[in-house]
Amino acid sequence: MLDLVEVYRENIASWLPEMGMACLGTLKLTFVSFLLAIAVGLLVALLRISTHRTIRGVALTYIEVARGMPALVILYIVYFVPPQVAPGVKWLAFSSFTAAVIGLAIHGGAILAEIFRSGIEALHRGQREAALSLGMTPTKAMAYIILPQATRIVLPPVANYAIGLLKDTAVCSLIAAPELMLRAKDLASSSFQPMAVFLLAAALYFVMSYPLALGARYLEMRLNYSR
Amino acid sequence: MGFWANMIKEFPYFMSVLLHGAVTTITVAVGALAFALVVGLVVALLKMSPFRVVRFVTSAYIELLRGTPALAQLFVIYFGLPDVGIDVAPVTAAIVGLGINGSAYLAEVYRAGIESIHKGQVEAALSLGMTPARAMQYIILPQAVRVMLPPITNFSIVLLKDTALVSVVAAPEIMFYARNLVTETFLSMQVYLLAALIYLSMTIPMARVVAMLERKRKAWR
Repeated sequence: MLDLVEVYRENIASWLPEMGMACLGTLKLTFVSFLLAIAVGLLVALLRISTHRTIRGVALTYIEVARGMPALVILYIVYFVPPQVAPGVKWLAFSSFTAAVIGLAIHGGAILAEIFRSGIEALHRGQREAALSLGMTPTKAMAYIILPQATRIVLPPVANYAIGLLKDTAVCSLIAAPELMLRAKDLASSSFQPMAVFLLAAALYFVMSYPLALGARYLEMRLNYSR
Repeated sequence: MGFWANMIKEFPYFMSVLLHGAVTTITVAVGALAFALVVGLVVALLKMSPFRVVRFVTSAYIELLRGTPALAQLFVIYFGLPDVGIDVAPVTAAIVGLGINGSAYLAEVYRAGIESIHKGQVEAALSLGMTPARAMQYIILPQAVRVMLPPITNFSIVLLKDTALVSVVAAPEIMFYARNLVTETFLSMQVYLLAALIYLSMTIPMARVVAMLERKRKAWR
């Protein structure tokens, strides 16, 4: 029978520093791909509400395709395909970290684009009309009137997305990106203690994601209240 | 040979293998959905229990499962449980893992749905002499289902995509076979694109259903 207490007492001193370092990798991966996904999402959301039909169509196709695929498929395509299709093109052979960031941003950009669009569309039309009638250009109206207000609306779903992203980074262990799950897999096979190691990994993910979840809930409560 | 020449030559072989995997993908998705629907309802009802301890334990269940990656949960079930003497078959581990993960999510969906029904409805049912259980069964749940249908369908899409993870516990689904085919033929682009197409042919129609359900729900109100 497995005595987890005993296993942890023996190994925690060597596991915790290693897995703690790997947590930094997870946080770095989450942070960088979050920023990139925000940029992609905002751009696609703006294209999605464009007045040009073709542009709208392209944005919509991107959203449907990138959202409809498992993140794992996108990661595999970004990581494994370029070196095979274009061997010798060095900049296309991404490191596992870069591939993970690109893959997660492609996936997340589509999710965020829909969140941003619904935030922009939730604002009353009169806001934009008022801005235009004051002589603002459509771009200025978007930058100074619509986006600042939409930010408030989209904050809770964006926070929820960030939590999902933090958990999704675990998938990047499958392309050997340097993060917590990869470290855990190594430790599990070298120590022959998979139960203890994976439970510890799960606990570490919880420690990282739970404060975010509480923050998201607080945001949701405050923003609802002030309406 | 060019991309299309290879694609055309290998298409029947690739498709037959990948679609074979799709059967497992669908089995796992449907099994995990059924698991999550049933367990999630139990969890949601327990969370509304009058007993504090029960509510606390249920909250802990939901928070712990929602705060950790599904991949970590799968690893604990598939690689961890044999440590304590329980061997789990890959597909079973996949269904149970994704099912438990989903039950925590659906419990919140159920709770939001139930809470969206006006309190007067329960009060009216109780004053007509219904027991609380009957009021739940005949008055609350049938109305709440309408509210819950779009998020539940949405969850099914997420679940279907999450089944790609279970290739790591050796469940022979689409990505499992895709990886094997790439090792065998080195045609990564063709294989992964076909795999992506199979996923899209399932998720995009489901997304359309969600959009339709959401439009309908607005019309109901």
